[in-house]
Amino acid sequence: MKSAEAFEQEQAWDFEKAAMPYVDSLYNTAYRMTRNSEDAEDLVQETYLKAYKYYDKFEEGTNFKAWLFKIMKNTFINNYRKKKLTPHKIDFSEIEESYERVIQKNAPDLIKDPESEIFQDMMDEDVKRALDSLPHDYKMVVLLADIEGFSYKEIAEILDCPVGTVMSRLYRGRKMLERTLLEYAKKYGYIRSGEPVKMRSRKDEAKPRKKSAAGTEETDIVEPADEEVELFAAETEEFDFELEDEEPEEEFQLE
Amino acid sequence: MVCDDVKRIVYFYLDGQVGEQKKGAITSHLKGCRNCDDRVEISRRLRQFIAKRLGPHSAPARLRTRIQEGFASLRGSSARP
Repeated sequence: MKSAEAFEQEQAWDFEKAAMPYVDSLYNTAYRMTRNSEDAEDLVQETYLKAYKYYDKFEEGTNFKAWLFKIMKNTFINNYRKKKLTPHKIDFSEIEESYERVIQKNAPDLIKDPESEIFQDMMDEDVKRALDSLPHDYKMVVLLADIEGFSYKEIAEILDCPVGTVMSRLYRGRKMLERTLLEYAKKYGYIRSGEPVKMRSRKDEAKPRKKSAAGTEETDIVEPADEEVELFAAETEEFDFELEDEEPEEEFQLE
Repeated sequence: MVCDDVKRIVYFYLDGQVGEQKKGAITSHLKGCRNCDDRVEISRRLRQFIAKRLGPHSAPARLRTRIQEGFASLRGSSARP
């Protein structure tokens, strides 16, 4: 029979072997969440120490990476988001309209070269700024789905919310992120041909920004938002996307 | 299947999350609708772009060291349940 100490040693070793491969993923997400490397390091460190302490609470057979991310999400909320922030009003229909304007005007130019990256000249700093313009809840689902590759179900588990909410946030978060990237591309000249689209300016949201080198007109690009989201009017967190074929009882096809 | 349906479910289609029947309906709609086909392609390429540009960012080596040291000090204390 093993001594308690030997057992503990073995469990600790198991944990490290299982957990350490996720350090880059956790760090990347932490960095996107906190927006600076020092806070990201502290957050990941704390996540690992908590996970180590509570390893016996991890249920075998469930997703270990998702479990680590869930601990990190909770730690982040406890440490960084204790203050209830003022809800940030988002007019999603305005976002959809401006998205449509760019798509309808520039779609063929955007995909004319299938071999190259869509905006290969765009600076990483601008991509980062576009991500940071998303409300936190939307940013989280985009990071978890499109960077880390978690399924809807795993994201729902990590964020403690229904799958329908994950889908709704994913829809809006991706649309907002794409919209902002398209706006930057237009503004900084990454969409090379086609007439520039004249944007309606919204005085209440437009914030002064430095003029770009090309001296292009200001548009209503959304600045980093750290507020919680309050959707306009009748928009609810969950809506039915009707993804399924006409089979009753099953809400979404997850597997 | 009309263009508005495609707009609504394009991301879930790209995620492979729509039912077989619906997927077939989208695919045949895309064959006949240049606008929607472009829209799906733009989203697909934007997603690749986002994953590439915002993806890993390796953790600094000192962080790994810090974490290992943290484990060691937890082992040394009676902090573990």
